[in-house]
Amino acid sequence: MLPPILKDKVDDILRGIMASLNAGLSVVDKDLNIIWTNENLRRMLHSKHSVVGKKCYEVYGCACKDASHCSSVSGLSNGERNVSDIQFISEKGGRKYIKNISIPVKDEKGAVGYFLKLSLDVTEKEEKISQLSLLRKFADMMQGTLHIDRLLHLILTCVTAGTALGFNRARLFLVDKKRNVVYGKMAVGPSSYEEAVKVWSEIISKYESLEDLISASKDKYQEDTPLHATTRLMVYSLADESEPIVSCVKHKNIIWGKNAFHDPTMSRNFVSMIGADEFVCVPLIAREEAIGVICVDNHYSKKPVTEDQVQMLVTVASRAALAIENAEAYKSLEEKIKQLEDAQERLIRSERLAVIGNMAAYIAHEIRNPLVTIGGFARSISRISNQDPHAKQSAEIIVEEVNRLEKILANITDFGKPLKPVKGVFQVNDLLENTCSLMGPYFKSSNIQLIQKFNESAPPVTMDSTQMKQVFVNLMKNAVESMLDGGTLILETTSDDKYVKINVTDTGKGIPAETIQRVFEPFFTTKVDGTGIGLAVSKKIVDEHGGTILVKSSGYSGTTFSVYLPIKTE
Amino acid sequence: MQKKILVVEDDKNQILLYQHELTLEGYTVIAAKDGSEAVKMVKERFPDIIVMDINMPRMNGIEAMGKILGEQRKIPIIINTAYSNYKDNFMSWSADAYIIKSSDLTELKSKIKELLAKNE
Repeated sequence: MLPPILKDKVDDILRGIMASLNAGLSVVDKDLNIIWTNENLRRMLHSKHSVVGKKCYEVYGCACKDASHCSSVSGLSNGERNVSDIQFISEKGGRKYIKNISIPVKDEKGAVGYFLKLSLDVTEKEEKISQLSLLRKFADMMQGTLHIDRLLHLILTCVTAGTALGFNRARLFLVDKKRNVVYGKMAVGPSSYEEAVKVWSEIISKYESLEDLISASKDKYQEDTPLHATTRLMVYSLADESEPIVSCVKHKNIIWGKNAFHDPTMSRNFVSMIGADEFVCVPLIAREEAIGVICVDNHYSKKPVTEDQVQMLVTVASRAALAIENAEAYKSLEEKIKQLEDAQERLIRSERLAVIGNMAAYIAHEIRNPLVTIGGFARSISRISNQDPHAKQSAEIIVEEVNRLEKILANITDFGKPLKPVKGVFQVNDLLENTCSLMGPYFKSSNIQLIQKFNESAPPVTMDSTQMKQVFVNLMKNAVESMLDGGTLILETTSDDKYVKINVTDTGKGIPAETIQRVFEPFFTTKVDGTGIGLAVSKKIVDEHGGTILVKSSGYSGTTFSVYLPIKTE
Repeated sequence: MQKKILVVEDDKNQILLYQHELTLEGYTVIAAKDGSEAVKMVKERFPDIIVMDINMPRMNGIEAMGKILGEQRKIPIIINTAYSNYKDNFMSWSADAYIIKSSDLTELKSKIKELLAKNE
């Protein structure tokens, strides 16, 4: 036994040890009554009053309700330690993790009558572990997201979600190499303090885990927020390194602006757009190249950014950058596939036309043979039936009709045959004049007024004049046929350094939008007696000359065909 | 002495037309209904000129022309076809004329006349 003076001394020392231990201590008896605690435990449990006298399970929130189920009590008989973990939500709303170690206490005779409970606050460690596992989940999700906008939203959600990195606001910038700029693409975060409070309380009450939050926010990216709108206005030339975002991209380093409002070296424009005194910009680096920047701040909570958070942000950014690169590669692959499909469709279409063309040519030849016989004999009959005017007239009608059919067939067979232009150098204006004088009587009988607006300084063009004349005849004939009650035909030539342009404009009925794309297709016609060959042949001729033919029509009145002929051809 | 024209044509109605029209012009007209018959008739009947279709069963006009020209080089040959694209076949270049078939026989008749006069 210690003398009383020493006993008091030892008591003092023990009390000092207990107070300075950064752990909660309690003594619990066999019936699970707490008979003593230190001050730390009360603080740790956020309890306003002393917990002495209460049942152990009430205080620690264990599942057991009596001594027979308590694992610590079993330690009383075998003398072994027992470890258990508990977690609860504190009055402040934060999650707390406590590790409890129950140690049986033996008396001088070696019997165990009560146990000492040691409680350690492991919240920080647990949070770190759960944060890391969340970030891993995030990385997995990012890799699995190929839709670029959804991916960017996921990244920003990760950066701002309270359970993950928990920044107040996050903006994402992307590099556009073609335009040589870095531009604001997307932003997530509240736009005002009131909204921030509302959103946070909603998130805490609604979503248990980060996964819940993400699946709820999937496809729900709000583009109409003021934060998004201001971010979209932020575009910086990659040459302007005074801008933090540009510098972040160029040097691939973290820019941590502290006290930005009063930092004279900080770009004023940027600070006023960001509107936060402290911010962090982290580059998104994929394959050693900065493809963008994530910029975060704690504008509303004013919580200082910690080194730890920045490190975590760097980790997220590196995974995010790779995921963005993947998604962009996927997007360009998708575009390529689309182009391929388009090309295939065009090929099928042109093959279909080729088949129609071949079939038409075959039928044309097959019809031509009997026509020779019909027409030939009709001529012979008309020649010898001078005594019978009726027979003569009938035979002449047959001859006329056969002539018409033969002409149509010649057109069709001409279409299939490759055109080999015999080229010379000609003035387009001369050719047009020539064509107009040929068609003069036709214009007159159709009540057409002709207006010529020729650019006299247009340079000469290398072309097959016969074929090109055919093009002009076709275009003018079409124009006249569209003006049933007469009208005005305008021929106009202009030129630049590459092309001579010929416009053939009419004041006719126009071409409806649904058919205008098809006018150059062979055998497409809206005319009762048309073969659908004229414009197709015209297009083929212009193409063979390395030129272009285009059509424009308001759909109800007037049409303009434009022929572009290259000034220099080999 | 009437000039003898060999018309090589698989369409029997067309043969009738040529026979009718060319006889009126004062020629003797004999006909073969395909290339191989034409080759045989050249050997047996000695025509002064040949009007040759191309698209025919058994032996086409181009092949028949090759065989005929292989044996003699004197008889003028006029290709008379509905197809314009045989003009691209170099074999057709050895013909003396290439005419696209038409119910109007004016061109054919004048070509016959011209070639026979040249061969006098």
